[in-house]
Amino acid sequence: MEPDAQAFHGGLDGVVPTASGDTKLALEGLTKTFQGQRALDGVSLDLRAGEIHCLLGQNGSGKSTLIKMLAGYHAPDAGTAVVDGESMELGSAAAAQQHGLRFIHQDLALIDSMSVVDNLALGESYQGKWWLSERKEKKHAQKIFADYDIDVDVSELLVGLSTASQTMTAIVRALHHGDAARGILVLDEPTASLSEQDKEHLFGLLREIKARGGTLLYVTHRLHEVFELADRVTVLRDGRKVATRDVDTLSHDSLIELILGRPLEAVYPDPPAPGSDIVLDIKGLRGGTLDDFTGTVRAGEIVGIVGLSGSGSEEIPQLIFGARRLEAGEVTLMGQPIAPRSPWHGVRCGLALVPGDRKRLGVIGTWTLRENVTLPRVRGRGPLGWLGRRHEAQDVAPFMEQCEVKPNDPEATISSLSGGNQQKIMIARWLRTGAKALLLEEPTAGVDVGSKSAIYKQLYQAAKGGTAVLMSTTDLEEASAVCDRVYVIRGGRVGAELSGDQLTPDVLLGEALRLPDSLTSTGTTNERTPS
Amino acid sequence: MSERIEEAPQSVRPRSKTSPQDGSKLLGHLQFGKFSGVYCFALIFLLFAVWVPDTFLTSVTWKAILISQAFTGILALALLAPLATGMFDLSVAQTMGFSAVVCGLLTTKGPQLGLVPAIIVTLAVGVCIGMFNGFLCGILGLDSLIATLGTTSLLTGLAAALAKGSFVGPFSSSMTGLTSGSLFGVPIIAVYMLILGVIVWYALEHTPIGRRAYASGASPDAARLSGVRTQRYRFWSLVLCSTIAAGAGVLLASSLNSVSQTAGPEYLLPAFSAAFLGTTQIKPGRFNVWGTVLAIIILGTGIQGLQLAGADIWITNIFFGSALILALSTSLIVQRARGRREVKATQEERRQAGA
Repeated sequence: MEPDAQAFHGGLDGVVPTASGDTKLALEGLTKTFQGQRALDGVSLDLRAGEIHCLLGQNGSGKSTLIKMLAGYHAPDAGTAVVDGESMELGSAAAAQQHGLRFIHQDLALIDSMSVVDNLALGESYQGKWWLSERKEKKHAQKIFADYDIDVDVSELLVGLSTASQTMTAIVRALHHGDAARGILVLDEPTASLSEQDKEHLFGLLREIKARGGTLLYVTHRLHEVFELADRVTVLRDGRKVATRDVDTLSHDSLIELILGRPLEAVYPDPPAPGSDIVLDIKGLRGGTLDDFTGTVRAGEIVGIVGLSGSGSEEIPQLIFGARRLEAGEVTLMGQPIAPRSPWHGVRCGLALVPGDRKRLGVIGTWTLRENVTLPRVRGRGPLGWLGRRHEAQDVAPFMEQCEVKPNDPEATISSLSGGNQQKIMIARWLRTGAKALLLEEPTAGVDVGSKSAIYKQLYQAAKGGTAVLMSTTDLEEASAVCDRVYVIRGGRVGAELSGDQLTPDVLLGEALRLPDSLTSTGTTNERTPS
Repeated sequence: MSERIEEAPQSVRPRSKTSPQDGSKLLGHLQFGKFSGVYCFALIFLLFAVWVPDTFLTSVTWKAILISQAFTGILALALLAPLATGMFDLSVAQTMGFSAVVCGLLTTKGPQLGLVPAIIVTLAVGVCIGMFNGFLCGILGLDSLIATLGTTSLLTGLAAALAKGSFVGPFSSSMTGLTSGSLFGVPIIAVYMLILGVIVWYALEHTPIGRRAYASGASPDAARLSGVRTQRYRFWSLVLCSTIAAGAGVLLASSLNSVSQTAGPEYLLPAFSAAFLGTTQIKPGRFNVWGTVLAIIILGTGIQGLQLAGADIWITNIFFGSALILALSTSLIVQRARGRREVKATQEERRQAGA
């Protein structure tokens, strides 16, 4: 626990020096058209040497097109790129590589079954040319990791490492033999699957790279990361650059306004007033790494569960739902004791689960939206249960419309949708079954700001309609903004129950790390993290 | 507070209902990808109609095609159930062969059962084989390829032990009568296949049970967390498959009039080929009934034509193999291209929505 706390402190106290380096990368008038549609429209961007520059924008704003262009995946219709004063050909992966651009994508492109040493060597070549000496390679790898103060056993296989260590391995691999200042590091949502605590480790590494003169372009959906990390930020909307600003001049609200092109109040709608009736009552839940969870969800209330990875917080939704083996515990739903033995039973009891791993556990990628929505309750017509496409499409239409799914076409294949719209389908699926309790894991992981507000709106509406809404999340900003009450899980038990004014990301993190006093009293905390 | 959010989707909705898209959907129904089999069939038909017109364009030839492919077809249809739930039943052909031996022995040796009791007992044997497979793969969770390979070996041994290395038969006329007739000039065995096709099509593609079966195969974890009891679907799909195969065994015995222990296995690869070829047709990417039936007709016609043209018997295997590989790889390439186009289209739509 101690090093985590230090990392966290380091993040808060380390004053970010103003980057005033020369221009490292200059992009000028980038334009790209796909089948008559402008994906990028005259976008210019300059990266200064030694800065962390965030690139923000909703899905479809042109962010990914720009990154792909840098990586050499697309060639621009117009526009130039200059790296270190030398012109670089865009749309060529070799040129990007040669000019020192390195990319960390969400999928880290590491080989699970190989060791850290080998993965490192695959990025930058082995030390020996004719004879591979394991000892020598290992020493080299250890040196780089030690240099950046990363605690990773380099002979361990990648599968054995935590997601955070894997991410850091990928970053170290991209560092040109440890020489941070040489290249440009482009990170595409590296924290999407990291817990809050791991994130701090990662940020520590990124700050270290920056301190050594490294230049970073950082793409993210999570706005508080911008304030924690970045020097400057560029916002894209509809393929155009909206603005490049110093982070110091921005507030959380004004940043959202830049991204959305409309004021903030719509992102987190006003929470409904909680009623007094207890809808979901959980007593002594135990299973997996969870020892004992007791909690309630009232009508009209959204309750959050947060905790560090391994605390057991992430297991609670599936334990209630019947997807994991329950060792002990009583669950009462609207006065009825239920004990789901399996997801099938859970659904019949009136429960619903939106899993965090949407791709694997949520949607069936090759299926249409219609089929994905109806899956938990497929209803045929007539005595023989005839299942017709038109009838089904009519059945799902109101729910898809309610959740503002784009495109609103029930026959579209779900894997062609953005993460946000896939998540809307998951919500629509359970709204259709009329679930009495909605259990969610990471409800907005990999979801853009626009879709987030649509999803929160649905959760509020469901809560208002008397559905119990219980969500586990690692996004503390989300937990504090969306939930009426939050249970903090520590070591398999409820460590704290927070509501009202206590509900801020800092208090939540403090509670999760079991550092209740020191953090909340730190003066800088509230300035740096938006509330 | 929420009015602002609703602006975006409203601007999309009318667009997705405009006529150009409906037009492209209609085109989609006739597109080459889904029905390439029909074009292939036309091509093969024309080829042999020109090459060997005297023999190819006769009703005898067509009856021969239907009869020879009916067993492959029935087995392929039986396979669709476990394939939909993500299970491979490699024992399907040996189940048919074993059942043929069992049915033959029941009617000719020992108690000399009547036709109906013999069929019932044979089907019950099929149910038992299916439950055995289902227990191993569906409940215990063994890899279905390996487990059913084991079952195949068990059944081969048992069939040999029962038949004692000799032929069983000939059978009574009531038994052979099961497969000797015809309906409106179509061999009755092909009619059986067609009826089975309609039933499987209805159950698999147009009932909630079928939908959940497909879900169990498409993404077992996602299906389970949506409340689908995937284990049960896998178990019963294997039971269903073996039962249909046992029924096919009865018909096989009746059609051959004397069966040996080796009657089954030769149907295994053609049946699997047909089911997999079927995934490239009508409903690309899914095991589906009419795609499978189309595949069987194409394969049967091609082979019959080649044989009439005087090709050696080994050409059959070459034909099956190359048809399977060619069809699957072209459909994969077509699907990838379409996927790329779809992604681009959605990106575009999103962009328009934003604009």
